[in-house]
Amino acid sequence: MSHSESKVDGRWKLSVFSWLHLAAITLLLFSLFSGLRIAVLSFPFLGFLSPILPQGQVHTLHFVSGSLLSAIAVCSLAYYFFCREKQRPLRGRLARYHRAVLWIGCLGLLLSLATGGVLFFAILEAAVLVRVHFFLALAGLGFIFLHGVFYLVQYGVAAMRRILPRAQFSGLPVIKSAAVVGLCLVLLVLAYGSTSSRLDVKSIPIEDIVNVDGEADEAVWQGAIPVTVDTFFGANFEDGGSQVQIKALQNGSDVYMHIRWQDPTESRLHLPLEKTAEGWKVVYEGFENFNETKYYEDKFALLLSNSCSLGGAGTSHLGPKPLGDKPANFHGKGYHYSSDESIHDLWHWKAVRTNEMRLADDNHIGPPYAERPGSRRYTAGYMQDGKESGSYVMNWRWFKTAGVVPKRLPQQAPQTMPAASTQMLGTWFDLSVYNETADTLPVGSVIPSVLYRSNRFEGDRADVRAAGIWRDGYWSLELARTLDTGSPLDVAIRDGVCLWVAAFDHAQVGHTRHSRPIKLKLEES
Amino acid sequence: MLHRLLILVAIITAIGGYCTLARVKPHAKTDFQLQKIAADGVPIPIWSGPWSCVLDRRHGLLWEVKTDAEFLHDGDWTYSWFDGQHGVENAGDCFFEPQRCDTQDLIRRVNEAGLCGRNDWRLPTPNELMTLVDSRVPPGYTQIDKNFFPHTRSGDYWSSANGLPLAGVFEHLKEGAAAVNFGDGRQKTLPFRNAAFLRLVTEVEESRSTASLPLNDGE
Repeated sequence: MSHSESKVDGRWKLSVFSWLHLAAITLLLFSLFSGLRIAVLSFPFLGFLSPILPQGQVHTLHFVSGSLLSAIAVCSLAYYFFCREKQRPLRGRLARYHRAVLWIGCLGLLLSLATGGVLFFAILEAAVLVRVHFFLALAGLGFIFLHGVFYLVQYGVAAMRRILPRAQFSGLPVIKSAAVVGLCLVLLVLAYGSTSSRLDVKSIPIEDIVNVDGEADEAVWQGAIPVTVDTFFGANFEDGGSQVQIKALQNGSDVYMHIRWQDPTESRLHLPLEKTAEGWKVVYEGFENFNETKYYEDKFALLLSNSCSLGGAGTSHLGPKPLGDKPANFHGKGYHYSSDESIHDLWHWKAVRTNEMRLADDNHIGPPYAERPGSRRYTAGYMQDGKESGSYVMNWRWFKTAGVVPKRLPQQAPQTMPAASTQMLGTWFDLSVYNETADTLPVGSVIPSVLYRSNRFEGDRADVRAAGIWRDGYWSLELARTLDTGSPLDVAIRDGVCLWVAAFDHAQVGHTRHSRPIKLKLEES
Repeated sequence: MLHRLLILVAIITAIGGYCTLARVKPHAKTDFQLQKIAADGVPIPIWSGPWSCVLDRRHGLLWEVKTDAEFLHDGDWTYSWFDGQHGVENAGDCFFEPQRCDTQDLIRRVNEAGLCGRNDWRLPTPNELMTLVDSRVPPGYTQIDKNFFPHTRSGDYWSSANGLPLAGVFEHLKEGAAAVNFGDGRQKTLPFRNAAFLRLVTEVEESRSTASLPLNDGE
């Protein structure tokens, strides 16, 4: 190699290092900040950072920046082992400190990328791993300070000059740089190429009867191939996780699903009303901000969509105010809505409010609806389907933190707070109209907040039949719906429809989640 | 190095200050056309409750609010159309009258009770009722803002317009009264004997409807 060739090659190597370093800084910041926004969902103490974190569809941002950062890491390793000039040892004060921080930081970064990849591809159980990934990310934040910020403090602008790429775009460098970029893209495509698992929907004869009772003890269920999903980041679950098993059947007319998920505690004590010396009060912890995490029923949700985009078909928009022209939310978690005009189906089973109706609440996620100034709670695109009649009623005239006036009173009530598994459900016509002078229940009495009126939902909102039973640390839920209801607010069940699931452990909005969708594959009838 | 350290501390302090001050919290609108009014006629904050009437500032109207308390204002009660001279008496269903109910019964009882400090409650005109129709709701929803008008049914609500010719299967009954359906947001003519829902209204003088009212955040 001539002297001039050697000089060009040396410049190229320097240029590659600079570009890789700059790309790594940029992607690390994108990845960290989008990841912290996701982490706020489960680690409320990070909420103080909310104003400087990105809002909106950060799941996609996180996955893309993580994938690209992984590609950069691979390229950097290749550079380190094959292309690097003989490294000049770090000199000056604190050289040993910088060397140690650099090595520990790079190791942490590689571990963080590895755990992220394992989570994304659902290779290992997610609940613990997601916490490891989170704490490694926090360590990454520390690394930025101990490495980058420390260099800046130590050397000032000179440190910036050293790491910024220099313009050398002729000949070999361009070709080789393109190869590096190409490798990055290949890694990205590979990451995206496997973004869904598959749920086979077994075909059964229409004569076979499936009783929607939560037991799933009919013989036809034996032939259904289950899919297991590790969901994580849910409130109250052990380590925030719950493993969910899904089976599905169809008979050409209806689809049946059997969902079984881990939940160590059966929770049916839903916002009970307790009589105090000052009057009736709702017992809650977080409900005033629409984020109850203690006195709430267990729930389960299925999202069905013709889109298989990341972040729940692209409906998850995180942050306190992801829509600039719409109201902020109280809990700071975010909203579900579609960015286009598409409608996504949401089946929302509730252990108290819908289970005794033998229904799931048939909801949908659409474009963000218009703000209603009279409503304290804005839910963006998440809404119930319309109904003709029937509902459950909350047993208070108006919710106030200081106290409430019940609508109905039972003749007798428990004198102490019942166990969380106690079904707290009243029926409108079995209870009497509340009258303060006739209220003889003693202080300490506890009455239900949920009342059923004369009939259950009727109409579009009642499309999904459902029944769940809790046994030995698991909920077992059966759901059934017509394959195609014809409703503009429902998604027809067919090949290629994507599914996401979420479990709620006595939490109003703090549900578990998973990264990759589950794609339905219907067996021919 | 010291001055760079001080700059770093200043930057971190600035970011911390920004994070503290820039927190986004929802807040109630203060310029909305609808205002909640308590049973004694006092305006209450837009996110507070319970409330008994709604003032529509834009149209200068004060509306009765329905409840599920199974008394005078229950949203499930129905009424036949009757003004004391025309229509059909006592062909609707409610619990607050010894007999069955008609529109005159609710007007009389609500005026006697002085709802929201007023005793000039009346049937709304069709145009007044149509001002409540909100067609922006999703399919299958009752076409009204239920945050202000809870317990509204997707059914027919009587108006004051009467003596209107009936058509189709009701033609033999000759005359009826106009109603607005909050299921489809349309006006129609019904026989007086029909059991339909009812929401009373009264007018509010301009100075009062445009007066500044407290609209603080409530619970």
